[in-house]
Amino acid sequence: MMPGNPIVHLIGEDIMVTPELVEELTATLGLDKPLHEQFLIFIQNLAAGDLGYSYHLHAPVAELILERLPWTLLLVGTALLIGYSIGVLAGAYAGWQTKQKGAKALTFIGFIISCTPPYLLGLVLFSVFVYHLGWFPFKGLYTTPDLASIMWHMTLPIATLSLFIFARNLLIMRGSVLTEKHQLYPQFARSLGASKGFVLHRHVMKNAILPIITQFAIDFGFILSGALFIEIIFSLNAMGSLMYTAILNHDYPILSGLFLVIAVMAIGANILADVLYGIIDPRIWREMQ
Amino acid sequence: MEIQKVKQKYISWSIGLSLLLILLVLGGGNVSASDNESKTLKIATANEIKSPSFLGDYNFELFQTISNSALLQMDENGNIIANLAKSWFASPDHTEWTFVIDDKYQWSDGTPLTPEDVAFTINYRGQLASSGWIGDTLVDTTTTDDSVTFIFNKPYSRLDFEFLSYSTIPKHIWESVSDPEAKTSNGPYVGCGQYYIKSVDVNSATLILEKNPYWKGEEPYYDTIEIHWFSNDNASSFALEKGEVDTYWRYASTYPYAAVSVLEQNNRFDIFQAPSIGFSFLGFNLLKGVGADLEFRKAVSSAINYEELMQITTLGYGSIPTKGFVPPSMPYYQEMPSLIYDPQAAEDILTAAGYIDSDKNGIRETPDGEELLVNLVIRQEYSREGKLVAEYLRDVGIQVNLKVVEVNTWYDLKDNYQYDLTITRTTPWGMLMHANWGTGYFDSRRTGQGVLHTDDNPAYLELCDAILATTDTNLLEMYAQEIQEYYAEYLPGVALYWKQDITPTNKDITGWYSTPFKGILNEISFMRIHPKT
Repeated sequence: MMPGNPIVHLIGEDIMVTPELVEELTATLGLDKPLHEQFLIFIQNLAAGDLGYSYHLHAPVAELILERLPWTLLLVGTALLIGYSIGVLAGAYAGWQTKQKGAKALTFIGFIISCTPPYLLGLVLFSVFVYHLGWFPFKGLYTTPDLASIMWHMTLPIATLSLFIFARNLLIMRGSVLTEKHQLYPQFARSLGASKGFVLHRHVMKNAILPIITQFAIDFGFILSGALFIEIIFSLNAMGSLMYTAILNHDYPILSGLFLVIAVMAIGANILADVLYGIIDPRIWREMQ
Repeated sequence: MEIQKVKQKYISWSIGLSLLLILLVLGGGNVSASDNESKTLKIATANEIKSPSFLGDYNFELFQTISNSALLQMDENGNIIANLAKSWFASPDHTEWTFVIDDKYQWSDGTPLTPEDVAFTINYRGQLASSGWIGDTLVDTTTTDDSVTFIFNKPYSRLDFEFLSYSTIPKHIWESVSDPEAKTSNGPYVGCGQYYIKSVDVNSATLILEKNPYWKGEEPYYDTIEIHWFSNDNASSFALEKGEVDTYWRYASTYPYAAVSVLEQNNRFDIFQAPSIGFSFLGFNLLKGVGADLEFRKAVSSAINYEELMQITTLGYGSIPTKGFVPPSMPYYQEMPSLIYDPQAAEDILTAAGYIDSDKNGIRETPDGEELLVNLVIRQEYSREGKLVAEYLRDVGIQVNLKVVEVNTWYDLKDNYQYDLTITRTTPWGMLMHANWGTGYFDSRRTGQGVLHTDDNPAYLELCDAILATTDTNLLEMYAQEIQEYYAEYLPGVALYWKQDITPTNKDITGWYSTPFKGILNEISFMRIHPKT
């Protein structure tokens, strides 16, 4: 159970209220009912598509989540796409051509980025590209709600998040390719005259990418909350900050709504990962059959 | 053939990805902010508006000070002065309060502001939990052509203080809204002050105020005021340093001390300092444990190195407090003996009170023979002060169990008196609430998120009630002195440091006016400010 009393947060810091009013508010919010009863009410409402009402933000939870979901999908979705694509390619190269200077440099960069606390890296990039170079704006999802402004505002947050995803996937892919390249099948393919690049892209990457898919399934589960640091640095009004505020304010309806959405997405991502496993590695289907 | 296909696929994939990146980097790169160079004032803040709900979002309401004026306002010395009400008076028994409305206030849609609007506003507030006392005590409201009278079921001498913070809302707009707190809109919102809220956008983190075309008072210089909120102080500091905004404001807080020196070197800002009503203090559990022992409290107050605490936490932008708790920025401040760091005196007091280290293990024992172990429970944001205080107490033989807890746990422990000592802060409103002079924090009859409600001393409660029963300034001055003397003698809480609120303001702008309640965010300030000629 989370400590604290949501009523206290609802009332405010320096406000005097009578015990009667506290009781009234507790009853209004249904917090005077036994826990199992509260849970049943939640499930009943959920079945009717009602995620509850936030008494802090004075709006239905579903509405609050839906308002922010597109921004989170834009931020995290784009960053996942970029981070995974480049990370996989760079990791494959770094694992395949371990002795080349470029591969060593990439590995080094990957280590540095993945070891840097996200908030720190975000601030460094903010300092360089916003403060010193002035290429990007200081805050917000847009200045005016049009595509160009949104892209201008979202580029650096997306790039920052992409860097993290890139670094982690580079290291995973590199390790995976390193393992695969010492198997017999790449050497056999090479002995048949196939070029190094062909062996890597046609055979090794397919096998090496399986851990990345697992990672993707895990990442997707955190899609709503994982970008919190980025949202704080760039003052973005998306899902992470909604969750953060809800935790601070004990806004249970928002939290339960968010956890539900996250759980559904995590399950969806795991199903997707299982399907992708089967497509990339047909042996899995065969074993299942 | 197969190799070629793979190569082609690889190349086209890479090109696609590169294009996406280029599009992202350059697509909006040349979009410039909609800067309006002419007569626009930009303010950075950390008070984030989370929902475009005029009456439902706490931070949104803070900014209504300049668009939806309250009946009264505070001057730079902490006195209550006229605002929407040009004059006001109470009946001798303080059950009837009359406010005469200033006709320079007009709604921004051209509708005349009437006493009916004020009556509607206060009665609406009475329906809300946060101001439920109105609903409990207000029995009748009458209006004339230019005044409104509130009749309460019991004397309420502090009503003028309460009416500092309720923004006036137009009856003709809000009376038809069934759930005003749930109503969200990006604006415009009809206002009655010098400005009205033109728009609020939580996605661009911007609130825009524009001149009220129907305002009949002195015309402010700036046409537009933009409030820009930031989720972190580093970003807002960068924005200031870069000249993106003209000033910084945050309710009950200051511009981050650590960032001040950079602004000083920047040479673009004046650094405006004002003594703050808000400060950190050490609170004792007066109801049980060692905190109930006055001698123990005196010893603790002597064991603290105030100079070091002040230097570390405020970086020098503070001063050493007195035993009187109330800071100099409050009305009727009385000079009281300064708190002095004297560990030897602390040890002597403890020894004399029977707290002796008889087994010579470095930790004193209570008169009952138990080891003197105190629970210091603090929130995460006071961890630095907590560690220092724990160290000071250990130096005089008090063993400290320092518990750093998240805010909700702190509320629980504090409300259930499961601590001996705690560190928390006062806010400007917190110091003014209840019977003023910080009484709201200690009066055991109160409840609330930030209050300790630990002092049930009948003399103290009687004094609070006496303050609450008068509006006579002579009496109030006398009570103020008494309450500060009480604090100095009984030490229900010990101020750790008094601080200055720092407000950086654009060097090219002059006329700033700061009040203890809301700093530079007040009507007088926005009426006066203009570029230096």
